[in-house]
Amino acid sequence: MADGIRIEPDLNFIRYMKSAGGESLKKCFQCATCSVVCPLASDENPFPRKEMIWAQWGLKDKLVADPDVMLCHQCGDCTAYCPRGAKPGDVLGAIRAYAYMSNGFPQGLAKLCSSGKNLPIMIGIPAILIAVIWFLSGGMHLPTKEVLGEAGFGHFFGEGMSLGGLLTKNVTLIDMIFLPVAGFALFAAYKGAASMWKQMVANAGGNDAFRPSAKQFVVDFLWPSIVETIQHKRFNECGTNQNRVQGHLPLMLAFIGLFIVTNYAFIVKDIIGYWVHGLHGPISQMNPVKILANVSAIAMIVGVGILWANRSKMEEEQGVTPTFYDWFLIGEIMAVGITGLVAEITRLIGIPVLAYLFYYLHLVSIFMLFFYMPYTKFAHMIYRTVAMAFERYRESGFVK
Amino acid sequence: MNKKYSAYICTGCGIGDALDIEALSGVVSGEMSMGCKTHAALCSADGRALIENDINSDGVNTVVIGACSPRVMQDEFNFGGDKITVRANLREQAVWCQGEEPNAEYTQELASDYMRMGCTQAKKTELPEPYKLETINKRILVMGGGVAGLTAAKEAAAAGYEVMLVEKAASLGGKAANWRMQFPSKAPWTNLENPSIQDLISAVEADSKIAVKTANEVARIAGAPGNYSVTLKAAGTKSEWDAPAKVTADEQDKIDKGEMENPNTGLKNYMEANPAAEKYGAVVLATGWNPADVSEFEHLGYGKIDKVVTNAQFEKMAKDGKVPARVAFIQSPGGEEHDKDFPFCNSVTSMVALKQAQYVCADNPDGKAYILYQHMRTPGHMELFYKSAQNADGIFLTKASVTGVEDNGDGTLLVSAKNTLLNQDINIQVDMVVLAAGMVPTTHDAPTINLSYRQGPAFLDLELFDGYADSNFVCFPYESRRTGVYPCGGVRKAATMEETIDDATGAALKAIQCIESADRGVAVHPRSGDGSFPEFFFQRCTQCKRCTEECPFGALDDDEKGTPQPNPTRCRRCGTCMGACPERIIGFKNYNVDMIGSMIKSVEVPDDDEDKLRFLVLVCENDAYPAIDMAGMRRLGINNLVRFIPVRCLGSVNMVWIKDALSSGMDGALLLGCKFGDDYQCHFVKGSEIANKRMDNIGETLKSLGLEPERVTARDVAINEYHRVPEIIKEFVDEIIALGPNPFKGF
Repeated sequence: MADGIRIEPDLNFIRYMKSAGGESLKKCFQCATCSVVCPLASDENPFPRKEMIWAQWGLKDKLVADPDVMLCHQCGDCTAYCPRGAKPGDVLGAIRAYAYMSNGFPQGLAKLCSSGKNLPIMIGIPAILIAVIWFLSGGMHLPTKEVLGEAGFGHFFGEGMSLGGLLTKNVTLIDMIFLPVAGFALFAAYKGAASMWKQMVANAGGNDAFRPSAKQFVVDFLWPSIVETIQHKRFNECGTNQNRVQGHLPLMLAFIGLFIVTNYAFIVKDIIGYWVHGLHGPISQMNPVKILANVSAIAMIVGVGILWANRSKMEEEQGVTPTFYDWFLIGEIMAVGITGLVAEITRLIGIPVLAYLFYYLHLVSIFMLFFYMPYTKFAHMIYRTVAMAFERYRESGFVK
Repeated sequence: MNKKYSAYICTGCGIGDALDIEALSGVVSGEMSMGCKTHAALCSADGRALIENDINSDGVNTVVIGACSPRVMQDEFNFGGDKITVRANLREQAVWCQGEEPNAEYTQELASDYMRMGCTQAKKTELPEPYKLETINKRILVMGGGVAGLTAAKEAAAAGYEVMLVEKAASLGGKAANWRMQFPSKAPWTNLENPSIQDLISAVEADSKIAVKTANEVARIAGAPGNYSVTLKAAGTKSEWDAPAKVTADEQDKIDKGEMENPNTGLKNYMEANPAAEKYGAVVLATGWNPADVSEFEHLGYGKIDKVVTNAQFEKMAKDGKVPARVAFIQSPGGEEHDKDFPFCNSVTSMVALKQAQYVCADNPDGKAYILYQHMRTPGHMELFYKSAQNADGIFLTKASVTGVEDNGDGTLLVSAKNTLLNQDINIQVDMVVLAAGMVPTTHDAPTINLSYRQGPAFLDLELFDGYADSNFVCFPYESRRTGVYPCGGVRKAATMEETIDDATGAALKAIQCIESADRGVAVHPRSGDGSFPEFFFQRCTQCKRCTEECPFGALDDDEKGTPQPNPTRCRRCGTCMGACPERIIGFKNYNVDMIGSMIKSVEVPDDDEDKLRFLVLVCENDAYPAIDMAGMRRLGINNLVRFIPVRCLGSVNMVWIKDALSSGMDGALLLGCKFGDDYQCHFVKGSEIANKRMDNIGETLKSLGLEPERVTARDVAINEYHRVPEIIKEFVDEIIALGPNPFKGF
């Protein structure tokens, strides 16, 4: 019997890749220029040359178990230097999109998020859900200027208390919508990342019987990866698209800032507010947390704006293929930032109709950001961090 | 021709600065008793007017020009076909090759010798008189009715020539009639095309200038260009007019003594004329190729596993119906041992695999075609075809060493490959394996051309070309070792239809060139337009057969006694026969044993000066002579004790010239020619090789005379190796200086 591995190309995978931004994948003729320019490639690991032929041959199992695919941050050097126009950077993006979809839990939702055709449904779900709750809450009427000025959006989902006077009706409903969404997204992301980890371990020849403890995992593998990400160390090694750091770094810091603000608001309004009344109005603009929120919001818009411009430029100058996968995230974050900012400004200057409209849109876009996070490009924050952790794990005694 | 001489020396290009022109003129007018004039730029209008004036007013008809190399200014110094112009190369080979430390005295002696040789040549040369056939037949025979033959017939007819197309099979079309699709022939070079062969067949059949004979083949071709006698016969039959096999002189002896059976029993003698034969002027050989037998590569299972087929068989399947959904195309049979492709495949099988892989995808919605190659060869525009095929979802390409094909027993096969681009050893389950079998030229297995020549019915030395009928692929495409026979298409190389069409058009033009040259009595190639031809003084012929045997082009037949029977229209005017003849009875009007011998003897050899040695270098005018000129143009500096004499080919060097040189006191002789052997560069295929053999023999003769054999040697140099020339000459001269002067000097 012949030794060697039985190869069975998956034509559907190739067709998917071609539809998801990797239509150039078959053009690669394995010259390895990409591996020469890629900072991730080593002599033993000709990245992304080997991924290109795996993709050409439709070997999806090898690709989804390949941490290198997740480690690539699409600097664009390979695409810029490719003599054949095979656009390895785009192909890798498509592979990641496929990986998010194939690892995604539940599969139905993951598939929904894999194509721009489904965008109306993706918007429709939160738009209708929130509109229905808004309608049922009895808050679906325009406040007066004074109410808006005093309570902000505190009466958006109606006035009064709920849960037997524990929380305001508004806070209750917001929590009812967003806590399950956030929890579900985290759980789905965990399931996806775990599925990827398992395949990577199997592929790397790791031993399942000998695993790191949770503490070891976090201390030795996960935390250093997070630190590295925050420092943008690898991003800075990028050649062709160096200035993407200028967009990505403020954007990431903005998300951290907004994460802090959201947690502050949650603790103050939803937990402390349980005992202390009067905390449910808008936070003062002089409050350091509010300042952080506003700075973060602006950083977010500026950051994503830079990435937007950058991507347009890449598409124009380097022939990078525009994909739903890339533009959904950019558009989504932009939507979150703009709707939030407009809602806040119109609230402050007192235009109830615009304030409420944008607040509604803001809730819809935030819903989408969280809910679809595990299946869209936003998932890179999970998968990439896990892949970086895996990279450390692979080099550790657990595998070697 | 009553010759009236005049010599001219040009003083331009530095000649006048380096030489004492007055003394040089003195040599011409004194020793050579020839009028001599000088001019500052002979090639200028003024300079030419000087010569033309002498021609017109004084009746000068033989002009000696001491100026630049005969390779340049040929139009400027052409005074008409009825005038003789001899060039003495004072510039490149005397003045310009003085080197960094010129020795005026030596250079002057060198230039004087070139003028002496030029004047001597002028005296010995005659105007050539072209050889004319009594009747010329301009009809062209095309052998083979495939793409190549049909195209050649069509193109020759379009140029106004009558054509006879002979096809062995019952119908026209050849291999191309079996293709399902063809390679792209136009932009964007990505789409397979429907077969076009029927259009070509219709065009040929409708052409009133083309006669077609199917189910026929050539029994023998006798005669020579412009006058071939061709006997046809029904395909697959035997005829008494079949071309006789070659019988060497030794074999003939054995046959005569009854020690060997005559292979040609029952066949007409090769010289016998068939009164029923048809007359032709030239032949286009388009007999194509046969699919190679690939059963020798046992690990690939051909012949043992019925799902392992050749590309030709797969094409037929694809034409007849649907092909299987999973097919592996194996391009290279070497496994882990070597990366060679199948023999005789050139680049064609790469493209065939790319084409046939598309059948797999076209016939099956989920078709998968695996192309496992060591080389993917898609020249020219076909790179675009490769790219487009590569872009298909279901075509998978990798470089690979295919190590085996096994039958799974369930109707599928398992192909194993190592060293793949996937960086692992792989197995692929397929429904069929297609082997990229090559295209074996018909000349590989049979004489095919069936010439009724003294040197046998086939082309010679085909092992140099793996059986392909060719002379020199780069320099002389379409030409074969037989003047008047022009191979094209698959018989010349494994070629695509597009290449074949170009090829066949070229061959048709070459056939026309041959007929027209024969009509004018001049050489076809490579000495196109040369009106001289070898003449034989038969009274002194000893029937030694050396000329008949050595002629690289089989131009000489013989009679019962062995007396050569020249066929001047087959001849390429290289002079190999002249070099071979021990009786020195063969010569050209303007190039003969006496002429070169006299030139050698005209060199002044000082017999009292041990420093002034003299060396003769006989130089191949096709490669070595230009190399020497280029060395001069680059001022590389060449030893000035040597005297260069250009010869048509080293094969034409008669060994008596070496004796002439040594007996006139010269100290050594060198033959400087082109490379020979497997990668030969000889314009006349065998000339330099034959010369080298003859030099080995003359070494023995010298020894018996008490001379060191090292005094006579041969070297090769390629046309682009001008930088080696000074070193080659220096080595040769130094070796002889070490031996000391010719002991016979002064006798």
